[in-house]
Amino acid sequence: MNLAFKDIRYHRFKFFSSVLGVGLLLMVVLAIGGIIRGVIYDSATIVTETGADLWVVERDTLGPFVETSRIPEDYYHAIEVVPGVAEASPLAIGWEHVVRPPRPTPLAKFMYKNAVAGTQTMVEPGWMDVPAEERFVVIGYKPGRIGGPPALVAGRGIEADDYELVADVKTGFQVGERVRIGYHDYTVVGLTKNMVGFTADPVVYTTLKEAQQILFRPDPDLLRDRRRRFREPFETEAALAPRLAEPLARRAADLAEDTHVVNAIAVRLEPGASPEAVAKEIARWQRLEVHTAPRQVNLQLMGSNRLLILQLSLFRVILVLIAGIIIGLIIYTFTLDKVKEMAVLKLLGAPGRRIYVMILQQAVLIGVLGAILGGALEFAVEPFFPRRVEATYGDVGQMLVAMTVIAALSSLLAVRRAMTVDARSVLGS
Amino acid sequence: MEYAVEAEGLTKAYGEGRARVEVLKGVDLSARRGDLIAIMGPSGSGKTTLLHVLGLVTEPTAGRLILGGQDIYGGRWRPDLQRFRREKIGFIFQFANLIPFLTARENVLLPLDLTGVRGRAARERAAELLDYLDVADRADLLPEKLSGGERQRVAIARALANDPAVILADEPTASLDTERGLSVMRLLRRLSAEHGTAVLMVTHDTRMIGEVDRVIHLLDGAVRDPGTTAGQSIPGGFCS
Repeated sequence: MNLAFKDIRYHRFKFFSSVLGVGLLLMVVLAIGGIIRGVIYDSATIVTETGADLWVVERDTLGPFVETSRIPEDYYHAIEVVPGVAEASPLAIGWEHVVRPPRPTPLAKFMYKNAVAGTQTMVEPGWMDVPAEERFVVIGYKPGRIGGPPALVAGRGIEADDYELVADVKTGFQVGERVRIGYHDYTVVGLTKNMVGFTADPVVYTTLKEAQQILFRPDPDLLRDRRRRFREPFETEAALAPRLAEPLARRAADLAEDTHVVNAIAVRLEPGASPEAVAKEIARWQRLEVHTAPRQVNLQLMGSNRLLILQLSLFRVILVLIAGIIIGLIIYTFTLDKVKEMAVLKLLGAPGRRIYVMILQQAVLIGVLGAILGGALEFAVEPFFPRRVEATYGDVGQMLVAMTVIAALSSLLAVRRAMTVDARSVLGS
Repeated sequence: MEYAVEAEGLTKAYGEGRARVEVLKGVDLSARRGDLIAIMGPSGSGKTTLLHVLGLVTEPTAGRLILGGQDIYGGRWRPDLQRFRREKIGFIFQFANLIPFLTARENVLLPLDLTGVRGRAARERAAELLDYLDVADRADLLPEKLSGGERQRVAIARALANDPAVILADEPTASLDTERGLSVMRLLRRLSAEHGTAVLMVTHDTRMIGEVDRVIHLLDGAVRDPGTTAGQSIPGGFCS
């Protein structure tokens, strides 16, 4: 006769409402785990999907995703002849935005309102209004080389410089849509999926040349100033040889407009080549910084999102502890409700083990059912989160194990109380 | 006839030296199988302590106790006390004290389950007892759905489940009206005779004295009268 199940049958409302409470709490724990994993995946997406083994960046910089890195575009030719290198692809990477009328869902509106609550005394009203600016990461690459969109879900890829874009679906762009970025209109020719930067901003791909125009082309005032400054050193020569004045002015203008700069060169190695050895070789003779792909991911993760991840992680630990305490209190209350019955059981000769097993079974059952329910709820609400949440069945499995252990430990208090129940209390009093 | 309970010089004291208080002062008592005995006395006379000692939940300070022909205490408890209590003693309480989350049938099955009797044999035994106590049709109801009298009958069935040598009853009729109380007493009378179980009943309820074989009268921790036969006057005027 399983006393735990019999008791649950009798107190089913109380038991299942407790399971629901624990389940909701564990849903939050799992969601936070999913958010942490989402941040990690987002941080790694561009690096891993590019397929590069090495990332060549400016000397003493941590890479294009962490700090400013600018190197000459042509370096990729030199890198490509280093032994072990199969392919080198110059990439321009930067953040841009377009202004579009906001179309927030009611849930998004609520989330903005919720986020702004309590902060309006600190900032100007409207600080967290639904933004009209859509941010995205622009990646410029040479078609045919690594660094482009990994897979298309609609439309086609980019083949040449023709003011075309391939955008992640999260941008909200449609195939065929014309988008104004910088000084030019671009046509969206294809869509990709799950390509976001470490800030969860979606990625937009275009050719290297056009990305360089978007990201590096100076604005007209700056351009005029640069032309004047570039021309000044040649003016003496132009005065001595008036014939040279015009070509020198043209050269100065070309130099001022030059955008042959990239933020990184992605390097794919030949099979069997050692990333560390090739990285060392490139760094030695070109005075460049070379990061392996895993290091680049780590730099990105630990450089940009470290505190966020640690913060969420600590919060998750606190929530797990709270879940343990709540389960403990629930079981303790369950036990207090049964003190008289336990005294009767003891008087009837029930071994203490039988009573402790009843308490333990109920505690573990609350923990396990709570974890399963929490997992199911988490998977159900995952799509409604504004950025990637990636809880897995493995997480639910871990939670099951953790809750079993926590429930067992948290039932100790109740067991301790059960041990003090005096069988005499129901006899002759 | 075999004795179900034999107690010699049972003493229970609390404290040491001058602070020592003797709650039981060398109580002698015996009950044969089939006896229905009432233990009576005013508050503080030691009834509850005697019940606790006989129920093996309070260790005496001195004396000797034999239950079902087995030595239980002779200066110290025997080691398998819990098992002995499970198998040899049945309890009936003032308020039935059925386990509220078990049905009437499950309450009767519980002591059987605790002694390892399960399956068909246990179910048949429970059905037989519930039928014997005329509550078979209430078997699948939870205690909260039963009347006071029905609950007490189920409690008696539970006490009988393991066919104990002795049943200790604590004010079994106190919470019942006279008619139901008498009914329970007659039932105890019948089952003690038919099952050969000694029933020791602590009670204040003088209405029921006519149903018992003997009344053991306690006063200040000692037996004042070891066996007033039912119907006789009770010395000390505690019962009329």
